[in-house]
Amino acid sequence: MSPITDPIEIAGRTAPSRVLFGPHETNLARGRVLSDRHVAYYAARAAGGAGVIVTETASVHDSDWPYERAPLAALCGPGWSSTVDACRPHGTLVLAGLGHTGSQGSSAFGQSALWAPSRVPDVASRELPMEMEDDEINALVAGFRDSAALAAESGMDGVEIDAGQYSLLRQFSSGLTNQRGDEYGTDKSRLLREVLGAVRESGGIVGLRLSCDELAPWAGLTPEQAAVLARDLAELVDYLVPVRGSAMSASATRPDLHTEPGFNLDLCRRITEAVEGRTLTALQGSVVDPAQARQALDDGVANLVEMTRAQIAEPELVAKVRAGAQPRPCVLSNQKCRVRDNRNPIVSCIGEPHSGHETEDVADGHDAPRDVLVIGGGPAGLEAARVLALRGHRVELRERTDRLGGMLRLAANVGGRARLGKLADWLESEVHRLGVTVRTGVEVTDVPHDAIVATGSVAGPRNYAVHGGTVVDVVDLLAGAQLPDGPIVVADPVGDFVGVGIAELLASQGKATTIVSQDQVVGTQLALTGDLADANTRLQQAGVTLAKRSLLREVYAGHVVLEDVFTAERRELECAAVVHCGHRLPDTLPGPHRAGDCVAPRTVHEAILEGRRAAMAISAGALV
Amino acid sequence: MSGGRYRYLFSPLRVGPLVVRNRIVFSAHLTNYAQDGLPSEQHAEYYAARAAGGAGLIITEEHSTHVTDWPYEKLIHGFHREVIPGYRRITEAVHAHGTPILAQLNHNGGQASSMYSRLPVWAPSPVPDPMFREVPKAIDAREIAEVVAGYGTVAGHCAEGGFDGVELQCSHSSIVRGFLSPATNKRTDAYGGSLHNRARILLEIIDAVREAIGPERALGVRLCGDELIEGGTTIDEAVEVAKLVEATGKVDYINTSIGVATSTLFMIEASMAIPPGYALFIANAIRDAVRLPVIGVGRIKDPVQAERALAEGHCDLVGVVRGQIADADFVAKARAGHATEIRTCLSCNQECVGRMGLNRWLGCIENPRTGKESVPLPMPGPRPQRVLVVGGGPAGLQAASTAAQRGHHVTLFERNETTGGQVTLAASVPSRAEFLDVVRNLLAECQRYGVDIKTGAEASAELLRSESPDAVVLATGAKPKKPYWAGDLERVVDVRDVLEGRATPDGEVVVLDDLGFHQATSVAELLADRGCSVRITTSGMVVGQDLGVTLDMETFNVRAHAKGIRQHTDEVILGASEVDGRIVLQVLTHTTGVTTERTCDWVVCATHQAPEDELWQELKGAPFPVYRAGDCVTPRRAHAAVIEGHRVGVAL
Repeated sequence: MSPITDPIEIAGRTAPSRVLFGPHETNLARGRVLSDRHVAYYAARAAGGAGVIVTETASVHDSDWPYERAPLAALCGPGWSSTVDACRPHGTLVLAGLGHTGSQGSSAFGQSALWAPSRVPDVASRELPMEMEDDEINALVAGFRDSAALAAESGMDGVEIDAGQYSLLRQFSSGLTNQRGDEYGTDKSRLLREVLGAVRESGGIVGLRLSCDELAPWAGLTPEQAAVLARDLAELVDYLVPVRGSAMSASATRPDLHTEPGFNLDLCRRITEAVEGRTLTALQGSVVDPAQARQALDDGVANLVEMTRAQIAEPELVAKVRAGAQPRPCVLSNQKCRVRDNRNPIVSCIGEPHSGHETEDVADGHDAPRDVLVIGGGPAGLEAARVLALRGHRVELRERTDRLGGMLRLAANVGGRARLGKLADWLESEVHRLGVTVRTGVEVTDVPHDAIVATGSVAGPRNYAVHGGTVVDVVDLLAGAQLPDGPIVVADPVGDFVGVGIAELLASQGKATTIVSQDQVVGTQLALTGDLADANTRLQQAGVTLAKRSLLREVYAGHVVLEDVFTAERRELECAAVVHCGHRLPDTLPGPHRAGDCVAPRTVHEAILEGRRAAMAISAGALV
Repeated sequence: MSGGRYRYLFSPLRVGPLVVRNRIVFSAHLTNYAQDGLPSEQHAEYYAARAAGGAGLIITEEHSTHVTDWPYEKLIHGFHREVIPGYRRITEAVHAHGTPILAQLNHNGGQASSMYSRLPVWAPSPVPDPMFREVPKAIDAREIAEVVAGYGTVAGHCAEGGFDGVELQCSHSSIVRGFLSPATNKRTDAYGGSLHNRARILLEIIDAVREAIGPERALGVRLCGDELIEGGTTIDEAVEVAKLVEATGKVDYINTSIGVATSTLFMIEASMAIPPGYALFIANAIRDAVRLPVIGVGRIKDPVQAERALAEGHCDLVGVVRGQIADADFVAKARAGHATEIRTCLSCNQECVGRMGLNRWLGCIENPRTGKESVPLPMPGPRPQRVLVVGGGPAGLQAASTAAQRGHHVTLFERNETTGGQVTLAASVPSRAEFLDVVRNLLAECQRYGVDIKTGAEASAELLRSESPDAVVLATGAKPKKPYWAGDLERVVDVRDVLEGRATPDGEVVVLDDLGFHQATSVAELLADRGCSVRITTSGMVVGQDLGVTLDMETFNVRAHAKGIRQHTDEVILGASEVDGRIVLQVLTHTTGVTTERTCDWVVCATHQAPEDELWQELKGAPFPVYRAGDCVTPRRAHAAVIEGHRVGVAL
């Protein structure tokens, strides 16, 4: 039995497991109010065995409105109550995330100056905040106090205070942002202590999310200083979640798959040792593998383990671990679960599209078992086969190549994206476990009228003239095609992880590499996953030449012609081969139930969503 | 008054079954006022304000015709019957002013993503949109019929909701545009190939919509005259399409447009860098070819420009969108002969276009009420109060104007000889002159409402205390602050030092862009024009990154290229020293960690300023309330000054 499934006592209350579902942005709010979608989202994780759930961080004062759907604590009473009602039957402790993002917020919605300890512009927004005076500080502390009281009145088990990445309390604690000359500057943790004291008055659990390494040692909080701070604060909190990062390193707190899981093990161990058992600690930091979580608890790194993204990918994580089953893996792609974006995307998951949509797509009823053929063993076909088999159908899956996983396997060959393969592994093992008949190396030309077609995509058109030279499609490259010696040009009209990853891969092989993008920044689509700045840094460090705001116009043997998108100025670039990373076209095998790239080539999320829908459509048909 | 100065502007016009009382159209534009896919109370109040202000015809933002169409979050889902009560609220509010109102119908086609719909995007061919970059599904004949039927359904909802007709957006973001354009229609069936085939879906939609709305309502078609993309529609084909549309006998007017929203948006909602009336050639060409009334558009900012567009025969009606966002009473003021009182649009695009692109509600840098029409202002407190405003920049002018308009006695002190503050400086550089209108308009309002403006008047704390006012508003602005690394180097200066004439850089100049907006790019252009060799350096990934938000990025880069301005990104200046009369900068490329030296003659810094907050400190404990607005709270952009000035003016 893994210790992660063991109960644990926190300030006299018992959590049914040691797994924390941490506070995170979901965009599920209605206005600034927790919605029924929030409740269903948290309830699914409670039902799945989460020990502690911290609801989406709510602003404790209306001077803070960091994103459009950011909850406002004063409006959260009913939503908190409903969440408790939905989660408590499962024994899960429910805490209210409380915070204020200070200079890392946005003035777009509240249309007032941002609050900050000192007038230091945020690195990302460049907006200059106002320096808080006594009135604002008092209002802030009162906001925390009142919000904690409201949480307690609403039946919550307590609160978790945010002094992590996006937080005014971190900004006060840090020399990066606190340049005050008053007592809040000479004693940088004074405000934090005042806030913790204020929320303690409500009597529930008090957790603290604390940045313990701002990754900016010239003025930021270092692990050494954080250990001292944690020891000083230990008596004021019931548990502590050490995190890392600051505005100087916004992506470091919840990085994507380029960062190894469990990256905070050493940091957390250090804090755990510093607090000497006077408070509990929780390990955060891309912990997605139950084995790693177990090891950390066994090793005494922490008392609890935060597995937020793992439970977005697999709501029944704890229950499955308890039952010895394989949970659906989180691959840390951040493609659908990281939602700090102006478009307000709903939190979801590439592998579990139901996440964030718990109130929609509800499957019920029972099917009369029947024989179903699924054509194509990529993610869409695998998911269709998995769902059909789960619902009791006799499923045969036919795949043209000799391996299941389709484009997901190839995508895992892109530089830095090997973890994607774990999702393919899981889908493959599930269809075998569920008894799907799998036939690889089989081409299907005659489609039965009720088969599911998930045959993927083919290479797409190229928007440049090829007069000679070598152009290799990215899919062929990932499948093993060889490139000639000499400089390589990566044509990337899409701007997502493919072109960037290919350029990184080629550079790591020692090839002189240029990536061509029509945008002013390479990899623009990576803004959503949080990897944009990091990707550009990696590319530059790898020596990749960035041909920005450039169109690839012509390819010749030995060189290509690029054109500036604004000025139409043309230039030549030496080139032995072009790697084409453009959009693809759908495979044209007809069929009544189509899913994934053969409908329109998109990402694995859409493939799995549509594979599941196709399976459900057939199931629904079986009911008639 | 009948608008006698205008021969054409106020002459009524028959548009199909409707008669419009003047030629100014508040044409369709996004607002992001929808909630849960439904039109909101804010929609109704927003349109009603323009109806009350005299607009001849209002055309609402688009109403989506099908579930596969959901490109941005706050789209009105016209295909749900639940929209009808919201439609009625809008149409009743607008009709109360005798103004006809049409609804725009649209399916954005491939110019969308599946982010919200969780459904494949529909388009004529699997050609990914340049912005959304998602491969759409090429729709089959059954799906085409579904799209056509969707237009009919939503047209029916609009008729039921009380609209006087509908307009089909076939222009800059539309599945119909997708079919019309050779760039996105690669089909080989009856809906692709020849122009007639590409226009087939449009003609089918016209049939379906006319069937749904009957003869008593107007039907318009908005066409793109030039997509400004490779292989796209140009004016000759647009004229041919207009003729096909007219030949149906079912359409009452043609509206026009230029550009593709997801590719050449900077030409659709042109900033002040593009001349007014730039798109009238499209209306002109179409009007030459059809007898239907034609609407012309393109940054028409004032009634004189509109009158001229009519007088010169370019069009029969003139679309004025931003002009009426900035001043809902645009038409009424023109009709009353008070055109100079119109709060003219700057075409700065900061709070209208810029907020749209960021999924926020539509506002206006000049009009703090835009976007808040449905939220009534509180009643003024006891009046009149004696209010002293310190500072004549946009914050002070707005506070003074609002306070005076609400019945207070206001005196404004401005230290300089003229009001306008930093806006005056911002507008003094190439291609930014129209920005000056914000303070010109505000000054005129102050004068109209009786604000006593004292220029060249320094207001000390003693003076303010001695006046025993009922309230003081501090809008004292900001002062340049040298970067820490600049030391005492005299040739490291602020943008304001250059624009205010205290420094005249020459030779090789490095402009530091810490602000990501017009400050650095403007001064760079100014200095390049004066013969300097200019580089702009920024720690960000793009020079002038927020120019993209206001659609100034393309035009700036074209000009910068012509002026030889070079751009450097990902750089941080760590230090500076003087060597042989020149400046040597230590420049860190923060992505690679490499530090290099760069020698130049001058460094001009577009960097964060410090607030002028001495009075705020000195007036602590004063026996009267003291408010702050704008940069003296903390230095930001002009919109913050106007919003805070207005907020203070209302709060008094």
